[in-house]
Amino acid sequence: MDLSIDHVTKDFPSVRALDDVTFRVRAGEIHALMGENGAGKSTLIKIVTGVYKPDSGRLLLDGQPVEFASPRDALAAAIGAVHQERNLIPRFSVGENIVLEHLPIRKGMVDYAEVHRQARAFLELLDRALDTRAEVATLSVAQMQLVELARALSLKAKLLLLDEPTASISGHEAAALFDVLRRLRAQGVAIVFVSHKLEEVLSLCDRVTVLRDGKIAAADEPTASVSRGRLVSLMIGRDERVADMGVRNPDTSQTVLELKAVSTSFGHRDVDLSLHKGEILGLYGLVGAGRTELARSILGYGRITAGEIRVNGQPAHIRSMNEALENYRIGYVSEDRKGEGLLLAYPVRDNIAITIWRRISGILGLITPGAEAKAAGPFVGRLAIRAPSIDAAVSTLSGGNQQKVSIAKWLAAQTDILIVDEPTVGIDVKTKVEIHELIAGIARDGVSVLLITSDMAEMVTLADRILVLHDFRIVGEVASDHRYEGTSAAVMSFIHAVEPATAGA
Amino acid sequence: MTDRVLDLPRRQPIVLGQQAGLVVILVLLGALFTSKSPGFLSSFNLFVLGRSLAIDIVIGFSQMVVLATGGMNLSVGSIGVCVVMMGGYLMQVVGLSVPIACALALVLGGALGWLNGFTIARSGVNSFIVTLASANLFSGAMLILTKATPLNALPRSVAAFGQMRIGGGWVSPMLAMAMAIGVALIIFYRYSVIGRQSLATGANQRAAEMSGVPVGRRVIAAHALSGVLAGVAGLLTVARVGAAMPAVGGQDWLLPSFLGPVLGGAALAGGFVSVGGTMLGAALVTTIRSGLLVMGIGNFWLDLFLGLFLLAAVLLQRYRGALSPRSRMPRV
Amino acid sequence: MRRILNAEWAGLLAAIVVGAIVLAVVSPNFLSEFNFYVLLRSVCVSIIVAFAQMVTLAVGQMNLSVGALGGMTAILFGGMMEVFGVPLWLAVPIAIGIGVLGGLVNGLLAARTGINGFIVTLATASAFTGVNLGLTKSVPFYRMPVALQDFGNGRIGALPFLLIAPLVVSPLLALFLFRLPIGRRLLAVGGNSQAAALSGISPGKAIVLAHCLSGLLAAIGAVLAVAQLGSAQPLIGSDWLLLSFAAPIIGGTALAGGYVSIIGAILAVLVIALIQNGLVLAKVDPYWVQFLLGALIVATISLNRWRARPIRLG
Repeated sequence: MDLSIDHVTKDFPSVRALDDVTFRVRAGEIHALMGENGAGKSTLIKIVTGVYKPDSGRLLLDGQPVEFASPRDALAAAIGAVHQERNLIPRFSVGENIVLEHLPIRKGMVDYAEVHRQARAFLELLDRALDTRAEVATLSVAQMQLVELARALSLKAKLLLLDEPTASISGHEAAALFDVLRRLRAQGVAIVFVSHKLEEVLSLCDRVTVLRDGKIAAADEPTASVSRGRLVSLMIGRDERVADMGVRNPDTSQTVLELKAVSTSFGHRDVDLSLHKGEILGLYGLVGAGRTELARSILGYGRITAGEIRVNGQPAHIRSMNEALENYRIGYVSEDRKGEGLLLAYPVRDNIAITIWRRISGILGLITPGAEAKAAGPFVGRLAIRAPSIDAAVSTLSGGNQQKVSIAKWLAAQTDILIVDEPTVGIDVKTKVEIHELIAGIARDGVSVLLITSDMAEMVTLADRILVLHDFRIVGEVASDHRYEGTSAAVMSFIHAVEPATAGA
Repeated sequence: MTDRVLDLPRRQPIVLGQQAGLVVILVLLGALFTSKSPGFLSSFNLFVLGRSLAIDIVIGFSQMVVLATGGMNLSVGSIGVCVVMMGGYLMQVVGLSVPIACALALVLGGALGWLNGFTIARSGVNSFIVTLASANLFSGAMLILTKATPLNALPRSVAAFGQMRIGGGWVSPMLAMAMAIGVALIIFYRYSVIGRQSLATGANQRAAEMSGVPVGRRVIAAHALSGVLAGVAGLLTVARVGAAMPAVGGQDWLLPSFLGPVLGGAALAGGFVSVGGTMLGAALVTTIRSGLLVMGIGNFWLDLFLGLFLLAAVLLQRYRGALSPRSRMPRV
Repeated sequence: MRRILNAEWAGLLAAIVVGAIVLAVVSPNFLSEFNFYVLLRSVCVSIIVAFAQMVTLAVGQMNLSVGALGGMTAILFGGMMEVFGVPLWLAVPIAIGIGVLGGLVNGLLAARTGINGFIVTLATASAFTGVNLGLTKSVPFYRMPVALQDFGNGRIGALPFLLIAPLVVSPLLALFLFRLPIGRRLLAVGGNSQAAALSGISPGKAIVLAHCLSGLLAAIGAVLAVAQLGSAQPLIGSDWLLLSFAAPIIGGTALAGGYVSIIGAILAVLVIALIQNGLVLAKVDPYWVQFLLGALIVATISLNRWRARPIRLG
């Protein structure tokens, strides 16, 4: 089946997610859709699968315009998708989840024997055996993604959209998936493959379309004739250049945070980590490596089963964020901006001042109206937060400005240590640079930063040293010279040493 | 990036229209009932209404403070009746003075509430289930201990308090108390650190937690406060009736405890409460109840009207909200 | 055998067995045919009431109007027979229809307006109670058809006729929720309504269906209660609410939706009935019932958490 996206535009209250997007996916083709986070890929997929309606423009299947009122219409049109977030029914079995859209029925009742038979068959295509009777809630993240892939296959779709399908699975399983995709391609299925992994795209896909800030940067380019460098520059609008953040001299004699042989209930084993004053220490790893879990264990949201944590040389037993902030002056910029980093329905002012309410309160623990504005106001200027007013609800701000608010509260709190988790996901390029400068700036002022990010360019730009985490263990350390080629290669070499190569040729 | 001009949310983020609407309805109803029965606005009737209202307001507050943090308290009635019987017991059997007996009884209320909060915070179990269990535990324990015998021989001052009128007018000290508590709560939620943190907890518990708010402590405090307020409501009924009755509270309080806050605009999910709205909501309930009696429609149909009113109020709130741009956020 | 031991309700079953043994030892009357009859009679309505709540929990909703709807249906059922002379065989389906209609109102309001089901059913509970009291002025309808009364009192040995209802409804409900696609879709919505929507299932329709079923079951419970009491009392349903949540939850049904346990709910009702029965036999204060009910909920939740698996982050 042919899919044509024809001048599609989609607006949300404070951002234009897609702007006059046009490209074409042909039957019997694997078409890559690339772009940075926030470029509009997921929105596009949601339009094609009937979750959203375009504000203007249209979709054409095999040349005929179509309108989807709901996901059911898209399914009926033989369109299947695996979205980025998991969409499984937790207490249902693996088998039932896989065939959920088309439960086999015999005499009016669900034929469970057939459910499991079909499910097993689709799992086998992915070269993976799972107990199809197991409850999905008991599976690992990787296993859940496989279940979703199996489900997509079971749809026998003529158009298949996969949004970061290899994010959580092993190289071996990814290779099996690619074999299946090639076979489907041979059968005439059109496949849209969203991925930020350049190697995968170049080896698997026939054509590539690149989105940047909601617009087409390149459409329908044959992968055979495009280079890695060109792809990257298309995505970020400039060459993969590392911004110069100025000179910093972290004080290596002062260790503000130290982990010695730490093991956690998440599965970390024997983690050693030293963060020096004024330093930006990077924690790099693929999705599922355990970086966020490590950070949360430090903050008290995971059990430390072995080893010790020291803050400024003193043993620390942190049991909650409140303790981390009040007793140890540690802050945490969450990777989940909307769920954890902000109170979306509340004003900018409250979101910035929340960490310092106690500090700005007067007698009887009361906060005067002026005190909050006085405390929070300066940060709006310092971080260049663009908002209608300090009383505007944070939900009305763009992603970039929301993230700035999320960071602002930690600046207001004046923490000594700041753990920053994926600070620029889904944020436009200009704001990204502003945030980078911000982080470098506070490090220069003496704040010690533990930076978690899967954005290599960001890591190389900011980090002084990079710890490489894989499968909940530290597998290497790289001293960054802030030059992309060398540093990124060194980091990736540690990962590849423990991880077989992905995407067979 | 296109920024539209949007409604700027107020400090206490309830759309002003909601409360204004309630006032309008109250005035209209008042006019209606008075036209049917001039005695409706008599000093005596207002006095009687005022006492009922005071109790309903405090019951509403008792639920509101828990709704603020994103939970709910199904045991408000049970805690209320426990405090009632404890207070009666201390006054009648142990012979303590009324103020001391009340104070100690309120401590019990706070302790029972604290127990709820502690269990919820520590176990992570839904407040619905915990307070469902504790409602049964507390009521059951009370019934076992008291064998459901009312305590009628309370000190004279108790009933006298219930009959008092401020300055000989129509305002009962009970009503004044309820208002005072209301004012205190407004200050609490708008200006105090603990109050703001409690609301933040209700708005998004994870985000509050990760911003350094001691969420567990705030939930516990909210439930303890709820227990104390439930106790206050219970003691107010003792004053009104002149005796400590084990039939008070229980499941009877469940509906009123939600009606006030919800009519007043509190978000069931937490994060937003309206003290004034809760009081107005309770006032509406009381007015309708009394008005129906006055109109000769009788008490029996009361609940039907209350139910329909609640639906209408919530629908109105929903559709007004639907007109604001925020509702066109992407469905996730 | 192993499957029974591993089942979530194994603990409840054990409690029943142990409790029964204890009671048999403590009181010789426990094992009498009449006592079993009394015991079984007391669970018939409760099981149906538990199911009525369970089906809304299944879809991730709550029905606070379960008791009020039951009460209103009961008096309309009794009233139409006593006042309008409607024959029994007609009154029963009409009563059930009323229950479904009530559920439909709940479902449509909850699904279409986006108002939280909690508030919707809180309001309709009030409304139904109002209709109930308004029509009856708290006076029951006493003149129920003889056939109904005979059904309510009749028995074969220790088995009351009333038991037919749960005996028939339970397997039908199990069939619906575990074997029929429409039931699976309902549970899917309760489990993850977003995922269900993406798979082409309509959460709105599932919610309406669940509430209709809830109303239907509440109505069945109401008819049974009238039969059991021999009269249509306005107080029917007034004590259903807490039990309707307690039994499914104790039995393992997830409060958040997506998972139910029919056997668990039945066993929970049995445990509660056993406790009540035991208290009467042992001449203990009946007030202990409420207390023990609360303790039971606590025990169940503690047990479940002790068995719970940790969840990994992404």
